[in-house]
Amino acid sequence: MKNWYLILLSLVAAFILFIALSILYEQKTPEELDLSEPIQIVMKSIEGQPMDFWDVVTQGIDEAAREFGVEVKITGPRYEKEINRQINIMDAVIDERPPIIILAANDYKRLVGSVEKADALGIPVVTMDSGIQSDIPVSFIATDNIDAGNKAGDEMKRLILLNSRKSIAIVSHIKETATAIDREAGVREALLDENVIGTWFCDVEQEKAYLITLELLKDESLGGVVALNEVAALGVARAIDEMDAEGKVFVVGFDSAVRELSYLEEGIIKATVVQRPYNMGYITIKTAVDYLKGNKIETFIDTGSILITRENMFQREYQELLFPVSN
Amino acid sequence: MKARLGLGSLESRIYMIFTLMIFVAVFIMQLVSFRFTINALRSSTLENNRTLLGQLVTQIDSYISGMEQISQAVQDDPEIIEYMLNGANSGSPSYLSIQQRLGNYIKARNDISDIIIIGRDGLVITADPDSNLNPWTSVSEKDWYLEAMDAGGQTVVSSSYVQNLVEGRYSWVVSLSREILSVDKNESLGVMLVDLKFNRIKELCQSLVVGRKGYNFIIDSDRNYIFHPTQQLVYSNIRSEPIDSIYALLKNTEDEFFFADKKYFMIETSDITGWFVVSVTHESDIVTDWRYVQISYSLLGLILFLIVGLATNRISSGITKPVRKLQDIMKSVDTGEFRLVGSIRATDEIKELAREYDTMVGHIRNLMEANTREQELKRKSDLKALQAQINPHFLYNTLDSIIWMGEMGQNKEVVLMTSALSKLFRISISKGREIIKITDEIAHVESYLTIQKMRYKDKFEYSIDIDPDLYTHTILKITLQPLVENAIYHGIKEVDHKGLIQITGEELDGNIKLEVVDNGKGMTTEELEELNQNLDTSSNSHQLSQQGMGVRNVHERIQLYFGKEYGLSYISTPGSGTRITVLIPSETLEA
Repeated sequence: MKNWYLILLSLVAAFILFIALSILYEQKTPEELDLSEPIQIVMKSIEGQPMDFWDVVTQGIDEAAREFGVEVKITGPRYEKEINRQINIMDAVIDERPPIIILAANDYKRLVGSVEKADALGIPVVTMDSGIQSDIPVSFIATDNIDAGNKAGDEMKRLILLNSRKSIAIVSHIKETATAIDREAGVREALLDENVIGTWFCDVEQEKAYLITLELLKDESLGGVVALNEVAALGVARAIDEMDAEGKVFVVGFDSAVRELSYLEEGIIKATVVQRPYNMGYITIKTAVDYLKGNKIETFIDTGSILITRENMFQREYQELLFPVSN
Repeated sequence: MKARLGLGSLESRIYMIFTLMIFVAVFIMQLVSFRFTINALRSSTLENNRTLLGQLVTQIDSYISGMEQISQAVQDDPEIIEYMLNGANSGSPSYLSIQQRLGNYIKARNDISDIIIIGRDGLVITADPDSNLNPWTSVSEKDWYLEAMDAGGQTVVSSSYVQNLVEGRYSWVVSLSREILSVDKNESLGVMLVDLKFNRIKELCQSLVVGRKGYNFIIDSDRNYIFHPTQQLVYSNIRSEPIDSIYALLKNTEDEFFFADKKYFMIETSDITGWFVVSVTHESDIVTDWRYVQISYSLLGLILFLIVGLATNRISSGITKPVRKLQDIMKSVDTGEFRLVGSIRATDEIKELAREYDTMVGHIRNLMEANTREQELKRKSDLKALQAQINPHFLYNTLDSIIWMGEMGQNKEVVLMTSALSKLFRISISKGREIIKITDEIAHVESYLTIQKMRYKDKFEYSIDIDPDLYTHTILKITLQPLVENAIYHGIKEVDHKGLIQITGEELDGNIKLEVVDNGKGMTTEELEELNQNLDTSSNSHQLSQQGMGVRNVHERIQLYFGKEYGLSYISTPGSGTRITVLIPSETLEA
């Protein structure tokens, strides 16, 4: 083998050429995140109505996944109240060793253990919509619910000026949930100078909210109800509709269920504060991808909220937010 | 082999330079073909997209114009006109039958959301018999109503929006509205609205996309988005489209597309709706698999490098091998050997070089031979000069002897000595010849002996006994005289008894052996050894006496003329004399 060194030199030269071309193409080929495992997303619940909040979040997630070229896998308990089920799902997800986990926690405290376990294995966690009582998550993407509560409270403050009945009640959906706690705090902050007579909890049951409202309507001084989520708002609105109290008691709700929007058109609900679920899903994936790419990310990202009234509900920029185009 | 691997060797230099050149060439080729490929790919992809976009616009247009035909059909329906003109008067068609008629139009097309007729006096007829009108909305405030009233019977295409005319139903639609006029066109009867399901347009836009990241969107001339796949991101400013560039491109008739933010934008105008359909292609979808191109080019490079390597090897070994051979032969110069290259298998240049070298070596050889000859001649002439010098003291002494004998009146002796001296000189000169006959040499040495015998008053006797066959053979002149001189001065003169010098000569194995034997003082072994050594080593002459010099000159001259195997040798015993033997080749004088 007299020419072995020629072959060696040629190989070296070819290798250098390969590297040089790599560098050349690297500049031309857009930077893509290449993950061996899909990004795991643990939702609050996966059995939602079409076009409800989580369905729209999923649309945002899917769009971002498509844009950033990542694979996502969405799991979650059937219902929001299944906290233990969500903990089990988290354990199963951690076992798959995904590059990152996105969690919408069903409980502020009880999911902390699962997140700590993921952290111990070096799996980063991003929380969305509802956070947990821990510093571990690298980012929290959610509606700033205090700010959203402020908006609802400010609107109620404006409305109550027009009403002779001045008492204001708050109907919350559940105790010990971050969203409910923050929204109530926001509402109370805005209504500091008003007569807030108390907070009632409907435990995410429309019927209970309805019954609570019927009870509250017996109070002749009641001039406003702030309902802190969709279920509560629907229950409250139904009671007011049935009791023909829309001129006497003003309702400010949250979220944008189709029935709620009908109530808004009818004037039973005066205003509703809506989140941006599509943006939430999109930004969450974008943040997770940024983190995996090693880019700097914010620890908290507010996806924003908007006060919708009958006047602006058909405005072009809010139409799709309120009435998502079904697929 | 080692030297060939070194960086300085011809082969590795050629290889390096060629490899480097190929490397640069392949790389530049790459860059050029890269650009070329990109441009080709881009134009073909964009061409494709243009076609797709054209299809999309055509489909939207045909879709809308289909709807327009329906709206025209409704407009031309005499029963509907009749009903709208006369209201629910007796004899005219009933509300329900009109509703049914509208329903029939919808049934044919599942992409129509609703057909609604708004008559005078707030009369509203929907195609769906089960739906109730939304009591909370006012028809006369709607854009589509107002625009239709302004258009005077022309169809107005709305933007996309959420239709809330029917209670509890919020559907995304695009509306075609037109004013319904009476048959004589004088009277406005109301407005007809055909709602198209927006999903149909959305599906169209989403089905005709290119690549993984491509998408289409629609804007109208008021910068509103009719459709955008991520409308919410656009409205909340998370994403934005280069709207200004899009409108600029619309005015620019030269460019087909523009490039912004890694995306290619192309626009097509929908003539019926006045919408601008924008097709977006992501750069990464145009250029799909660079890895493949990269690997194939690297392989090409590898093959080229190998070819270059082997070619270099061939070329350089064609050069270096003969050069190496040449070099080896040239090295022989160091050892004093002048070898010739002769015929060699090589390129013309090397052959030429070898030929020139051979010529040069030939010249050098000739020069060296000439030089040696010259040197020899020079030495010979030196020796000639030497041998020509007959010891001047000998001449003075002889002349003194002649004078003295003359004064004494010994005329006979004077004649004898003078004639001997004359003979001596004549033979010494021998007309400048170097080689003489042995008889002449005998005569020469006899003359010398005669003179010396007379001078030393019969201190010694001598005998010459040389084979007469040798007389005609040749000898270097003045060979015997210095030996005899030496025998007299260092042998005989030193002893008291009467000396005897014997000169003998015979042929021996093709050589001639002459001997000069004396019975003088002789030499010790050490003296003898020194003398023999002195013969062979060219030495500093001043150590030697005049006579010693003479003897050595004889030896050197013989060796110079006849070769190293000839010359003188001594045999001596202290007290009993010395024997000098002269060995020369047996030659006869050529005529």
